[in-house]
Amino acid sequence: MGVYDINRIQLPILPPDFRDDTKDVHFVPAPCQVACPVGTDAPSYIGYIWEGKFEEAFDAITATNPFSSICGRCCDAPCEPACRRVDSDGPVQIRNLKRFVMDKLGRSFRLPPYPVTRKETIGIVGGGPAGLTAAHDLCAAGYRVDVYEMTDRLGGMMIWGIPAFRLPPGIIEEDIDRLVHRCAGMQIHLNSALGSDITLEELKNRHDAVLLAIGSWWGKPMNIPGEVDPRVVDGVSFLRRVNAGERPELPDTVVVVGGGDVAMDACRAAKRLSGCHNVKVIYRRGPDEIPARRIELEGAIEEDITFIYHTQQVAVESRGERLALCCVKTEPGEPDDGGRRRPVEVPGSEHQIECGMVIAAVGQKAACDELDKQGLMEPDRVRTEFEGMRTSDPKVFAAGDGAFGGSTIVVAMHHGQRAAYYVKSFLEGQEKPLPYRTPYRTRRVPVAQDIHWEKLAPHHPEFFGLGENPVEFPEIEATYDWETARNEAARCYRCDAETGSADYSVQHREDLFSMARTSPNDYAKHRAMLQARLQLREDPFPNERSATLDDLVFLPANLSRLVIDPYREACAINTDIAGRLQLDQPFFVTGFDDAPDQVREAVAAGLTAAKCGYFGVRPWNTSATWLQLLTPEASAPSRDAAAQIYCLGNEFQAVELRRLHDQQVLGLTVSSLDLLEETIPYALDRQYDMLLLDGTGKLGQGWPELAGVPDLGILRDAVAILRRLRREEEIALVYFGGVRSGTDTAKIIGLGAVAVVLGVNAGLAVGGQITGDSLTFSSDFGDEQRSDAVCRIIKANSGEASMMARCTGKTKLHNIEPEDLRSLTLATAASTGIPLAGTRGV
Amino acid sequence: MVTIDLAKLPVRKANELIREHGDAGEDVQIINPDARHHIGVGLTSPIDVRIRGSAGYFCAGLTDQARFEVDNNVGWGLGDNMYAGSVVVAGNAGAIAGVAIRGAELVIRGNMGSRAGQVMKAGTLCCAGNANFMAGYMMYGGRIIILGDSGERVGEDMTGGEIFVGGRVQDLGSDAQLTDIDRAEVNGIMAFLDQYKVPFRGSFQKIVNAGKKLRYETSEQQMRSIPFFTFSGDSEYWNPKIQEDIHIKSQIGRYRIRGYGGARILPHLSDLAFKKDLSLVEIGDEIISQVQLHTEIGGIHGALPLKLSMPVMIAPMSYGALSRSTKQAIGMASSLSGIAENTGEGGMSDAQRNAADQLIFQCLGGRLGWNIHDMKRADGLEIYISQGAKPGLGGQLMAKKVTQELASIRGIPAGIDLRSPSRHPDILGADDLVIKIEEFREATGYRLPISVKLGAGRVRDDIKIAVKDGFDFIELDGMQGSTGAGSAEVIDYVGIPTLAAIIEAEEALAEIGRREDIQIVLMGGLRDGVDAVKGLCLGADAVAFGTSVIIAGGCIACMQCHVGQCVTGIATQDPEHEKRYQPSVEAQNIHRFLEAVRWQIAAITAGLGHLDTRQLSRDDLVAITQEAAAITGLPYVPEYRHRDSERFAEVG
Repeated sequence: MGVYDINRIQLPILPPDFRDDTKDVHFVPAPCQVACPVGTDAPSYIGYIWEGKFEEAFDAITATNPFSSICGRCCDAPCEPACRRVDSDGPVQIRNLKRFVMDKLGRSFRLPPYPVTRKETIGIVGGGPAGLTAAHDLCAAGYRVDVYEMTDRLGGMMIWGIPAFRLPPGIIEEDIDRLVHRCAGMQIHLNSALGSDITLEELKNRHDAVLLAIGSWWGKPMNIPGEVDPRVVDGVSFLRRVNAGERPELPDTVVVVGGGDVAMDACRAAKRLSGCHNVKVIYRRGPDEIPARRIELEGAIEEDITFIYHTQQVAVESRGERLALCCVKTEPGEPDDGGRRRPVEVPGSEHQIECGMVIAAVGQKAACDELDKQGLMEPDRVRTEFEGMRTSDPKVFAAGDGAFGGSTIVVAMHHGQRAAYYVKSFLEGQEKPLPYRTPYRTRRVPVAQDIHWEKLAPHHPEFFGLGENPVEFPEIEATYDWETARNEAARCYRCDAETGSADYSVQHREDLFSMARTSPNDYAKHRAMLQARLQLREDPFPNERSATLDDLVFLPANLSRLVIDPYREACAINTDIAGRLQLDQPFFVTGFDDAPDQVREAVAAGLTAAKCGYFGVRPWNTSATWLQLLTPEASAPSRDAAAQIYCLGNEFQAVELRRLHDQQVLGLTVSSLDLLEETIPYALDRQYDMLLLDGTGKLGQGWPELAGVPDLGILRDAVAILRRLRREEEIALVYFGGVRSGTDTAKIIGLGAVAVVLGVNAGLAVGGQITGDSLTFSSDFGDEQRSDAVCRIIKANSGEASMMARCTGKTKLHNIEPEDLRSLTLATAASTGIPLAGTRGV
Repeated sequence: MVTIDLAKLPVRKANELIREHGDAGEDVQIINPDARHHIGVGLTSPIDVRIRGSAGYFCAGLTDQARFEVDNNVGWGLGDNMYAGSVVVAGNAGAIAGVAIRGAELVIRGNMGSRAGQVMKAGTLCCAGNANFMAGYMMYGGRIIILGDSGERVGEDMTGGEIFVGGRVQDLGSDAQLTDIDRAEVNGIMAFLDQYKVPFRGSFQKIVNAGKKLRYETSEQQMRSIPFFTFSGDSEYWNPKIQEDIHIKSQIGRYRIRGYGGARILPHLSDLAFKKDLSLVEIGDEIISQVQLHTEIGGIHGALPLKLSMPVMIAPMSYGALSRSTKQAIGMASSLSGIAENTGEGGMSDAQRNAADQLIFQCLGGRLGWNIHDMKRADGLEIYISQGAKPGLGGQLMAKKVTQELASIRGIPAGIDLRSPSRHPDILGADDLVIKIEEFREATGYRLPISVKLGAGRVRDDIKIAVKDGFDFIELDGMQGSTGAGSAEVIDYVGIPTLAAIIEAEEALAEIGRREDIQIVLMGGLRDGVDAVKGLCLGADAVAFGTSVIIAGGCIACMQCHVGQCVTGIATQDPEHEKRYQPSVEAQNIHRFLEAVRWQIAAITAGLGHLDTRQLSRDDLVAITQEAAAITGLPYVPEYRHRDSERFAEVG
């Protein structure tokens, strides 16, 4: 599937039993994941790497890829060109990151074996990536699987095609051992070639289904005169010899014909063999068209291999000791069906390239006499229909290079997965299974918090090239160390995840990306995009959503109100409580009565410095202003307190408070709406100074704000009662409950309070950790850090509150009125009396 | 010398004649000026203009090279935004003399009013008498010479430049300080005074910026933003986002700053559905040619309108917030798709002008980059009052982005944390605004549409003022609009949603029967053709896209625009990062996005049974949330939500 394919918009339905997360509205499979034929959840494993969670990363990597260690070294990594960071400073090095994890855990880490739960068995011919991946998936589904491999080991082209300098011995075993351990129901039959050792008929009798994954084992001829010369070999055969351990002596100059992956491996292997000094690669198109993977091409160039482009071989001539490869120059001609420009010969450009050996890497083919006899073969591959991975024999399926031509490991694995799915559907008797679709999972890993992520350049592992003793095929590149891996992981954009933007959610962004990458004439895709976009979002404000401060907004000054300059003009925030208590800012703090002494002392120092008062039952031992909370069972009123505030709790009672000095503030705490009608007239009659409105209902008991959304109704009703009595100015309303910021403060003041009491806000600022319904204080924070934090959070809250006031055009915080606010939800409108935005009334 | 008699000619005609004579190189004298406003505005020829009497507001405003002499007094805004050239006033000047000048020499032989030299960038403002309060308010550069007393709070919040006071320094403004003066400076002043024949024998005190408010004291720890969508869900009142905010604020002691739009979900156009089930409608390939999309904006009062190939424009975004390459790509894409681009704050670069066929030039309170020459080559002029993301606040550009080049186009010192003034020096209320609009019209020969950019707040009241003041159109920006940098809390909690904004605007205009007298361009969180059509149904004449255009051009919405090292090279001025952005590639991406929008608008319009986007109406919509129903007054039909998804599932 293309990254911006129509299927990406109209994602086909996933067959049952697959685990997939595409229904999650906060997830979109990233381009790298979509580009990966096996749907590897790269963003998650990259996120895990950054977090140092290697086992989780390993799990994400191996979930869809039984050859992760191999892929970590030599996957052609289609994910990387799809990476959106390509366009800026280069793709995230996804493959190298995979290698980092596999190098760390691959050898030892084992996942639990799949139990056999079904009676049917499947015979799989070929132990390469397609066959073994199918075996893996079928074992995962509970089947017994027999793998018939014609050579003496498993791995197929991974073993016979890839030279040891790219894939050192041991890595393949690592994956195979893990696979064998995991697939308890898998039997392996080595040295069992189809035809000579076992017939198709026998397989069909022995098993309920047969899967042919025979590979594309043979090199195609160049079809030019003279190529029968024994010094002309095909690329796959050459590599097979070398990978079997042979180290033939080569002539001084070797020419490799072709520009694909086999050509790259062949030229680089040749370069390392003794006797060979010059390796030339000829390719009939230009450097931009060469199909070889960029990293391998660059590696070959660094190893001093010469590339001769726009050159087409026409004949091989023997010159005694030497060979002459006769060539012509080419130039790009008319585009072919695939849109690539066909190379055409330049007349009169005939020339010869002298060499001692020609390696033809111009394509591969499958061959099998047994299948030929059964009529299952095309000339170069097993005749297979991609839709159902079926051959013309209903019981026989096919996959991999042998069925679809030479490709990559990861494509072969994808074929294996598809084939396993269709074999399973067949065994379950499904006539018309849903088409296979790669499932896309996410592990929902948080984005890496590295502040340098924007700057970090891609880091390529150290490249060793030929090494000191090339003929031993030492590995060409190093793996990452932890720090490098972490930096590389931090670079990931995380296209799969939300970034925190509400309107430009990950899905919307993907829609916009798709629109930007769709031709105006691709009407089918436009239709699909529109239909997808017409789906409506869930109600963000369902009935059960509480009224909350978050759903209030301020109305800015614009044309109809005088704008002030919010960055410069002064905005007064000083607060006066009944003429008895003057505050620099509209804040009190509470909640630390039961905190550890060390925390209390540090907080007290901070409060003293910030000139901020504290509501509590316990007195401070310092000069911090203390507003004494009185409860029926608590100690006697104190002369040292700046205020005596009696906590009525949930039941009204007449409370006689006596001022112990002139400036002492007297007041009551009300924790229930039901008490207001009685309490307010009583407090007014007694000429009390303050009503502390407790939106949590549980002021004085630990950290009651942690219980959830506070009740704003208590403030609304208190203001309404005072207004009805026309005595709004006679008592100061102070609000406690869920005030998290200066913004919340400004809203509460707009609703009619003169000040707020901060609890959890201050608790978190001084390093409190939320544990259940309480805050705990770790020892990570120093005393000074704590007292500074108190000052700073109060300063920040003050600045924020005044910024809100300035935005509304006020030069005094307390001039914010209900008229400066609007609600965003009906619940909040009802609870606060503030009209819904865009409407005139509640 | 040619004589123009203002007793016989209106100012508009007189200004045309002055410019004609200017082109011909002939000097002009104005008789019977009668303190008219805008005399000489827009003149860019090096001629002498003698005003035989008093001039009103904005005398010699928006000019370059001309030499004015006024025999008597002038009103406020003398020499507004004047480049080279000079004005000599024999009498007194009103408030904000020399506002935003960029090189001119102004000499006032009498006294001058308050806030003289506000936001000036370069040049000399000289007052032989006394200054009133706050001379040099927010000045960025240049020289003010006051031979008499300074007035109160002199140098208030000045960023750069110097103020020389020959009389008494009454008191210093915020962030201003006295400093030593050197001989060369005094010699320079004396030479200037000699040149204009201003006698002076005293000594000077020099006032400069004290540098305490140019940068934030503590820098905020940079983090990649934490996505959080269930704000105030009952159990998550103290959610991780809130905790992170508190932790950071308890370290830096101030509000947090970030880029991008809102982090919280608001009532939105998404909460409306089309009444007709569009999944059942056949949409032909040639749909675009079957629907009338062409839209003209800005011509209703006689100016040359913007000609849009569809009712879509680019939202104002500045070179500054965005890299030069990004602005260039957007300009190119706007031309390819036949729509209009907007400079945003901070001036017009040649690259932008050349890339965009139709370009609106925006004027902000700091007058950063504002000048007569770019006004003349613009296709529309826009007065910024506020923006949806941070209404009530001015633009914010962190020091990392205020490069030398950027500073020079804006006329400010490099490397400051730029907090643009949110208030225009010369627009304190609706009445001033009328005169300001007139000044712009005078300066450009009444040729260009004049629009207002307004962040949504009290839309019901504000839009009535906008229509009464005679704007051609309003760019109405709901609180979902994005920004390059702003207080995170302001982004999320100040302003009203775009959905509510358009409703209030329509209702208010209907109330006073003036809907036909202004056009509305709606913006703020509109993402594509679906949102666009909903906006048009609710009454907008056109819509504008900002963020979605940026995203189409490669933005990944990491919300770190304020940091200035944008990973994609979009919101950065760092050349190493800007290199990552390929304007021609991204212009094509943005163009394809706009063409997809076009297709969507056409398809939906036709699907709803119309042939012209102007036929779209409220009747085409229903509300699917109670909030949206209450805000819009549309029928509440939540069942529509399931209709579409079921159909979609069947198709799949």
